[in-house]
Amino acid sequence: MAEKKPTGTVLVAGAGVSGIKAAIELAEIGYKVLLTDASPQIGGILAKLDNQFPTDHCGMCRMLPMVGREYASQYCMRKGLYHENIEILPFTELKRVEGDAGNYTVELLKKARYIDTEKCNGLGECIRVCPVETADEFNHGLTLRKAVYKPVPHNTPQMLLIDMDTCTKCGECLKVCPTNVINLEAEDEPLTRQVHAIVLASGVKLYNLKDFEDAKSWAVSPDVVSSLAFERIISGSGTFDGTIRRPSDGKPARKIAWVQCMGSRNRRQKRDYCSSICCMFALKEAVLAKEKGGDDVETTIFYMDMRTFGKDFYRYYERAVDEHGVKLIRCRVQQVMLNPDKSLSMRYFDSETQEFFVSDYDMVVLSTGQVPYETHKKLADLLHVDVNSQNLLPTDPYDKVKLVKPGVFLCGSLMGLTDLSEAISSGIAAAGQVSRFLSGMDVSLLEEEEIPEPTAKDRDEPLVSVVLCKCSEKTQESSVDFNVLGAGLKKLNSVGEVNIMDMVCSDEGKQMVLDLLAKSKCNRLLIGACHPFMYRKSLKNLAKKAGFSASLFEIIDLSSIVHKGFFEPQPVESAKKDYTRLAYNEIRAAVENLKLKPALHVETLSINPAALVVGGGIAGMHAALSLAQRGVEVHLVEKTDKLGGYAGTRIEHTIDGLTPVSMAKDMTIKVLEHKYITLHKNCEVVATQGSLGAFETKIRDISSQENFYLNHGAAIIATGGHEGATDEYEYGNSDQILTQAELKDGLATGEIDVSEAETIVMIQCVGSRQKEGREYCSRICCIGAIANALSIREKNPEARIFILYRDVMTYGFNEQYYTKARLAGIVFVSYSLDNKPKVELTDGSPVITFTEPVLNAEMQLTPDYLILSTGVDAEASNRDVGKAFGLPVNEDGFFVEADSKWRPVEFLKVGLYVAGVAHSPMTLKDAILQAEAAAHKTYAYLSGRKIHTAHTISRVHDAICVRCQRCVDICPYGARSYDEVLDRIIVDGATCQACGMCGVACQNNAAEIMGFSDKQIMAVIDAKLSKDPMATTAE
Amino acid sequence: MDFSQSDKDLWKQIYNTKDLLHCFNCSTCLSGCPASHGDPPLLVRNLARMVVYGLEEDLLNDDTPWACVSCSRCEEMCPMDVKPFEMILAIRRWQTLNDETRVPTAIVEIYKRGYTQSVGTNTELRASLGLPELQTITKMPEMLKLYQEMLMKTPVVSENDYMFNEE
Amino acid sequence: MELCLFLGCNTPAIRPDVERAIRATMPELGVDLADAEGYVCCPAFGSFPSTDDDSYLASSGWNLSIAEAKGLDIMVQCGSCYSSLRMGRDHLAHDEEKLARVNELIELTGRKLECKTKVRHVSEILYNEVGAEKISKTIKKNLNGLHGIVQYPCHTLFPSEIVGFEESPREPKALRILTEAMGATVDHYSRELQCCGGAGGFSKSSPAEATEFTKTKLDAIIDETKADFIVVSCITCLMYLDNIQKKLNDAQGTDKYHIPVFDYNQLLALCMGFDPKQVASICTVPRNKVIDRITAG
Repeated sequence: MAEKKPTGTVLVAGAGVSGIKAAIELAEIGYKVLLTDASPQIGGILAKLDNQFPTDHCGMCRMLPMVGREYASQYCMRKGLYHENIEILPFTELKRVEGDAGNYTVELLKKARYIDTEKCNGLGECIRVCPVETADEFNHGLTLRKAVYKPVPHNTPQMLLIDMDTCTKCGECLKVCPTNVINLEAEDEPLTRQVHAIVLASGVKLYNLKDFEDAKSWAVSPDVVSSLAFERIISGSGTFDGTIRRPSDGKPARKIAWVQCMGSRNRRQKRDYCSSICCMFALKEAVLAKEKGGDDVETTIFYMDMRTFGKDFYRYYERAVDEHGVKLIRCRVQQVMLNPDKSLSMRYFDSETQEFFVSDYDMVVLSTGQVPYETHKKLADLLHVDVNSQNLLPTDPYDKVKLVKPGVFLCGSLMGLTDLSEAISSGIAAAGQVSRFLSGMDVSLLEEEEIPEPTAKDRDEPLVSVVLCKCSEKTQESSVDFNVLGAGLKKLNSVGEVNIMDMVCSDEGKQMVLDLLAKSKCNRLLIGACHPFMYRKSLKNLAKKAGFSASLFEIIDLSSIVHKGFFEPQPVESAKKDYTRLAYNEIRAAVENLKLKPALHVETLSINPAALVVGGGIAGMHAALSLAQRGVEVHLVEKTDKLGGYAGTRIEHTIDGLTPVSMAKDMTIKVLEHKYITLHKNCEVVATQGSLGAFETKIRDISSQENFYLNHGAAIIATGGHEGATDEYEYGNSDQILTQAELKDGLATGEIDVSEAETIVMIQCVGSRQKEGREYCSRICCIGAIANALSIREKNPEARIFILYRDVMTYGFNEQYYTKARLAGIVFVSYSLDNKPKVELTDGSPVITFTEPVLNAEMQLTPDYLILSTGVDAEASNRDVGKAFGLPVNEDGFFVEADSKWRPVEFLKVGLYVAGVAHSPMTLKDAILQAEAAAHKTYAYLSGRKIHTAHTISRVHDAICVRCQRCVDICPYGARSYDEVLDRIIVDGATCQACGMCGVACQNNAAEIMGFSDKQIMAVIDAKLSKDPMATTAE
Repeated sequence: MDFSQSDKDLWKQIYNTKDLLHCFNCSTCLSGCPASHGDPPLLVRNLARMVVYGLEEDLLNDDTPWACVSCSRCEEMCPMDVKPFEMILAIRRWQTLNDETRVPTAIVEIYKRGYTQSVGTNTELRASLGLPELQTITKMPEMLKLYQEMLMKTPVVSENDYMFNEE
Repeated sequence: MELCLFLGCNTPAIRPDVERAIRATMPELGVDLADAEGYVCCPAFGSFPSTDDDSYLASSGWNLSIAEAKGLDIMVQCGSCYSSLRMGRDHLAHDEEKLARVNELIELTGRKLECKTKVRHVSEILYNEVGAEKISKTIKKNLNGLHGIVQYPCHTLFPSEIVGFEESPREPKALRILTEAMGATVDHYSRELQCCGGAGGFSKSSPAEATEFTKTKLDAIIDETKADFIVVSCITCLMYLDNIQKKLNDAQGTDKYHIPVFDYNQLLALCMGFDPKQVASICTVPRNKVIDRITAG
C-alpha cells in the first residue's frame, strides 16, 4: 500500500490581519495551517480600530472567502475567526526553528491561560469577584481590567485568561466558576510541530510612550496619548463609549493636536526611517474626531511631510483639509507644556509669517511609528540568519515576502509598518510563495469529504427531525427543561421526531446521532446545539451521511438559552419556565422556516484551468511565471512587440540596486521557453464574456488584424502605466527642460552631459496632486528624482542641485535615500500648491523663480537643466480593457479594485484580478508583490480542486421578470448580467453573495434568494407573533 | 537675501561636518529656543539654511548667533543630530575670523588676567566670609605669562595681537 | 573622596558666599576639595569657543591638566563652566589630533593631558556620591514646612550624552531629591523646565524680551506654587533669577517679585548650621525670612 503523503502544513506566526489573510488563503487551497500569535487573542492592531483610512469604516470581514464561503465563519472578524483547515493557537510563542527548507521542526510554547477556553462559557463571574485591578493594555492603560480578563472586549467565543503577573492567587474566582475551568497551577505547554513552510507575520513593535526616553518631552500628562490609544478613545467599544474625552478628567476634548513622526525620522535616536502610515492615520483620526465630536472640534496636525502616497490617499487628504477643515502646520514642535488648567501648550513657528505662535489644546495625540530592529534581530537569531546591512531580516532583493532562507516568508508590517492594503496583498503573496514552494514538494492537500446527497424529495410532505443537545459540559444546571420542551415540540404538526442528546459536538455524540437518524423517516433536520458557526460544516456532513439533503438542514444556537440562567440575576428555578418557553418558540420558528424551505443544490463549477494575463510587463510576466510554475496553463497577451513594459524597457537601475531591464530580459527568456505559457504579442483584448471558470475572451492580433478566442478560467490585468506628460513650466519649449525619464535616458546614453553643469533644478509634483491634473500622488517620483540627482552628483561633485518639493515621499525605509541625498549636498526646498515656482525662458534658457520658505525670501536660479517630475499616468487603453471585461476604471484611468483595503488585487467580479501600475503607481517591488498575490488568487481557482457555489444564491423567476435590469445595476458584486442572446438575467452562482439587494430592487418578486422565500419569512413572523402554545401546555 | 552671491562651498569653511547637511528644516530647534523670543529672534533653523546656501554677506551681518544662551535644547531635540549649538559656535568663529569687530572683548580680559573679570582680588570680602586667599593665575605672573604665550599661538589672538598687547 | 574645585569667574568675583558655602559643606559630607591653582576661565562660551577651536581647547586643556596633574576629577558649580569643560574634554577625548594639538600648546606648562580627569557637577556629586540619605542625616536644621521650586541647570541636562547625568534628562530629579532631603516640599509648575534665560547674549541683545521671557517663568512660580524660595545649582541662574526680580519690580513699580534665590549648597550650609553672614550674605532679593526660619530651627 502506498505510503500516504504528509499533508502540507504551514506555520503562520502572527495572527494580525496579514497573518490571518495568509492563513485563510493557504487554508482555502487545502493546506493545513497552524496560526499562532504571541498575544492572547488574534487580530493584532486591527482589533483595536473601528475605522480605517481612506474608507473611514471597518471591513475586516471582507478577508473571508467569498466563493466556498461556507467553510469559514461568516461573522465579524473583529470578533473572531473559524476555518476548518486552520488551527488557531493564541498566546503561543515561537521558541525554536530547526531544520531545512521544507522540513522545519518548530518548537512552540503555548502559554498558560489558567482557564480552559474550550469549556469556558464566558459567564464572567470570575471577573466580577477578582480583587485585582490593573491597566488594560488593549485600551493602552486608559481603562482598568482585572487580573482575570477578556483580552479583547468584543471577542467571541470568549477568550478569558488570567494575568499571573498581577494575580494574587486569592482563589475567589475558583469559588464562583460554574464549570470549574480555572486552574491556577496550569503550566505553559511546549508543543513541537513539523511544518513544511513558515510565514512570519509577527508585525512590528511600535514606539510607545512608556519605553522610550525621548517621548518624555511630549508625554507630560495623561491627555497626551499615542495614536492607538486615541483609536481606543474614539472606538465604540473603547474607553468612553465613542465620544472623545480627555483621559485626565473625562471632559470633552474640543481642541486636539497631532504630532507626527514620533520615534521615526530620527537620526539622533538611530531611527532614521519613516513609518509610512502615520500621516494617513493622523488625517483619518482628525476627520473622525470632527465627525464624532462635531464640526467645531478643532484638529491640528504638526508635521514635516504629509506622506499621502497610496491610492486615493491624496484625495482623502484634500477632503480632510478642504471639507473637514483639518489644520496642517508644517513645523515639528520641541515639546508640550502642561498648563495649570490641564490644557496643553505648544509653541510653533509659522514660516509664512515668520512668527511664533502658542496654542493650547485639550488633547495631544502622538503619531507613534515603528521600532523594527529588535523584532528583526530576534527573528533572525531564531532562524539562524544574519540581519542585513540595514539591520533588518534579509529578504530577496526583488521579492519582499521571500526571506533568503528557503521555505520561510514574511508579510505584513514585519516588512516595515504598512497600510492595510499592503498587509493584505503581502499576506496573499506570501501564501502564493508558499504554494509555489510546496508545489515542488511531495505533500498532499487536505481532502474534502465527498458525501453524495440524497435526491431531493421536494414533493414529499415536509417532516422535520429535531435533535436537541443538552450542552451539559458547559453548564452545571440547565435553564431549560428538556422534557417539557421535547414534549411540546412533539405536538407540532410537521415535527416527525424529537431526540434529546448530549455532547453532539463530540465524535461519540456525532456517531450516536448518525445511528439514530439512519432509521429516520423525516426529510428535514433541525439541530439545536452550540456554536453553529463552528460545527456547521461537520454537522452538515453528518446530516448528509444520515441521508438528509444539506440544504434541508438547519442548526440553531440552543446553548445560549440553556446557559441563560447564569447571566440573569433571577434564580434559575423560577425562570426555567420562561427559558423553556423561549427555547420552544425559537425552535418552533425554525421549524416553520425549515418546513417551507426547498431543497437546494450546490453546483460544482466547471473550471477551465487556463489563465489569461493581460500585459507583458514585469508584473504580468511575474504572474504568468508564478502560475506556470504550479502547472497552470497561461496565455500572456501583450499589445506591443516587446515584453518588459515600462520598467523592463526604460529603467536600467533603481535606487535600491535593482535592474529592471536586465530582469525583464531574463524573464522574457523564461516566458518564451516555458511549456505552460503561450505568448500573444501585438495582441489586444476586445471583449470578454462569462464568469469564473468559464471566460471567453476575444483577442485581436494587431499585426494580422485577425481575431481569435481564448477560453480561460480567470484573468489578471497587469496593463501597467507610463511616465506622465505635462505642458507646465515651459516644458517642450527648451531642450534644457526635461522630464525625469528623459534625463535618465540621456544620462545613460551620454546624450546629456552634466559634468560641466553649475546648477540643476528639479521640480516635483508636476501636474500631480492638484485638482486640474493628476489628483493623486505618483508615489515613485521623489525616489526617482533622488536617484537621478545622486547620479548627477556622481558625475559632477560641484554642481548645485536643488529639488523643489511639496512633500518628500520617501516613505518607509526609503527615508534613507532622502538622507543620502542631503548628505550629497542636494538641497531640498519646499513649495506650496498656491505658490508654485515660476519658469520663464530667457534666450531659450529657463529661469526659475520661487519662494525659499525657510528664509521667506525670493530666489531666482538659472539652471543648466530644469527637470520635471511628471508622475505616472495610467495606460490610456485601460478604459478599453475595462470595457472589454466589464471592469470599472476610476477618473484617473486606473482600475478600481473590489475594496481598496481588504481586497486590493481583486475585482468585484470573481475571477478577475489586477496587479502592478494598472492598479496605481508603485515601485517595482510592490508591483511584483501584487503580481504574486493576483497569481495566487487565480491559482486558488485553477488548481484543480473542486469549487462549489453556495447553497444560498439568488435565482431569477424568468416568467415574471420584465428585464428591467434594475437588479443588474444594484448588485454590489456584479454577479448579474443580461444575456442578450438568451434574453435572460443570468446570475453568476460563484459571485453571488446572497446579500438580497436584487430581491429589494425587483418590483415583481422575480428575484428570490433561494432558501429565503417570502413565504418562509412570513411563516417565521407568524410563528413568533402567534399565541404561545406552550402557555397552555405548561399549565 | 541675494542668492546670486551665494557660495555653495561656504559651509565647509563655517561648519564642515556631515551633521549640517542632514538638516531637513523640521523647525524643532526653533520652538524651544529661549533666544527665539528675542528681537530679532535667534532662528537656528534659518542660520543653518543660510550656511547651507552659503549666503556670506547675510551671515557676516547677522548678530543673532551671539544671542544664544547655550542651553543646547536644539542640540538635544534635533532629530537629525545637526548639533546646532556646535553650529552656532562655528558661525561665531567664522564671523570672528572674518571680522575683527566681532572679537568678543571677554577674551581680551581673559588674556590680561586669566578671567572674564577680576577674580580673587576682593580679599577683604573674602576674609569677611571666612574664605582663604585664592591662588588665581592673576597672582601667578609667571604662569600668566605662559598662558598668554600659549594663547598667542592660537589664530584669533595671534592675528589680532594688537588687542592684547600691554598698554 | 577628593575633588579639584573649579570656581570659574563669577562665583569668586561676584558671589563668593556661594564659594564659601561649597567649601563649608562638601568636606562635611566626605568630599574634600583641592584648589586648582593657576586655573583660567573655563573658557566661557561667549569667549574662546566663539573665536576659534585652538584657544578654546587650549584653555580647556589648561584647566583639565591642572586637575589631572593632581590625579583628581574636577567639580564645578557654574553650569556654563561645567558644560564648557565637559564638552571640551569630550572633544579632546574623541579626537586624537585635537588632543595632540592641545598637548603641544600646554607643553610649556610642563603638564600633559591624557583626558583621564572627569568633569562633574556639584549636584551630581551630591546625588550620586553623597546621597540624599547622608544629607538628611548630616544636617542639624531643616527646611520642614517650607516650599521651594527647583531650577535645573540647562547645562547639566543638554546635550544629555555629553553633559547629562540624570537617569532621564527629560524628567530630571536629582536637585529635587536633594532639596527634599533637607525637608522642603518641592512644588511643581508648568514652566519648571524652562531655561532661566540668563546665559549668553540673549539678555544683552534683547533685554526687554529676555526679561519678559523670565517673567513668564516667575509668574508661573507665583501663580502655581507656594514657593518660599528658589533653589538653583548654577551661578548664572542664581545671579540672573535674583537680579531680574528687582528689575521687574522697578520697571513695574511693584513688589510682586520677591522670591529669595539660593544656591543649593547655601541652603545646605544653612541647614548644617554655618553662619549665614558667610554662606548666604550676597543677594538682591532679601533672603532673611528664609534664613531666619532655618536658623531658628
